[in-house]
Amino acid sequence: MSDMVELARTPAELEVPATVGALGDIASFVLRLAGRAALDKGAAYRIRLAVDELATNIVMHGYRGGDGRITVRGRSGPGRVQISITDSAPAFDPVEGCLPPAPGTPPERRRVGGLGIHLALTSVDEFSYERRDGRNISTLTVKAEGTDPCPPRP
Amino acid sequence: MPLSVSLSIEGDTTVIELAGELDAKTAPEFHQTIEKAAGHGTGTVEIRMAGVGYMASAGLRSLVFAQQKVADHVTIKVVGAIEPVSRTIRTAGLDRSIVLSDE
Repeated sequence: MSDMVELARTPAELEVPATVGALGDIASFVLRLAGRAALDKGAAYRIRLAVDELATNIVMHGYRGGDGRITVRGRSGPGRVQISITDSAPAFDPVEGCLPPAPGTPPERRRVGGLGIHLALTSVDEFSYERRDGRNISTLTVKAEGTDPCPPRP
Repeated sequence: MPLSVSLSIEGDTTVIELAGELDAKTAPEFHQTIEKAAGHGTGTVEIRMAGVGYMASAGLRSLVFAQQKVADHVTIKVVGAIEPVSRTIRTAGLDRSIVLSDE
């Protein structure tokens, strides 16, 4: 059975304006899906953090404070949540924009913005990015802690 | 969820107590409080985070800001952070310059 079959066929969808004020709506949406998939606290935290960081990045740097929309689609299945985030801002591949922490760099010279992306990518179990029809589409999957893709039968 | 921030002085320590969620929307409040705390001239700035259920990188930015604002000899302590919050601090490498404490 493929992973996708285990996930809901029809994704839940949320479209919000790309504003800091809408980040709370996105968080509620993600936490609802995490609850539906019965993710434990740690996994729910990770998917929320990852989506929040990517969405914040789109608001702050993608649209640069201008008008824009963010569409969040989510599917939940037993022990996993998959979220896709779509925006129409200029092309941006989070994997290329990821800035690992630089412990040797003094705090006053650290760039924290790239760390948000780093946090997002290290919080998820799977990540992919594509640019399609003038849109950025990031897809993230988080599995419940200890989820085995093929659990042994009792 | 909103963030509540309080500021007090206990001896040589400036205490900032946070409760709620620290993200791009709420971090500016924390930022303002850090600015006030840095002006108090105490030896330690203690940030009590046991009541913070969520922290995004915007919170990290505030902690970096705190390091920039205080004098070199001032210790910044983060106390009581839940595991995912302290993981976020460690991921950013800030645990090298900020004291992470359970109590």
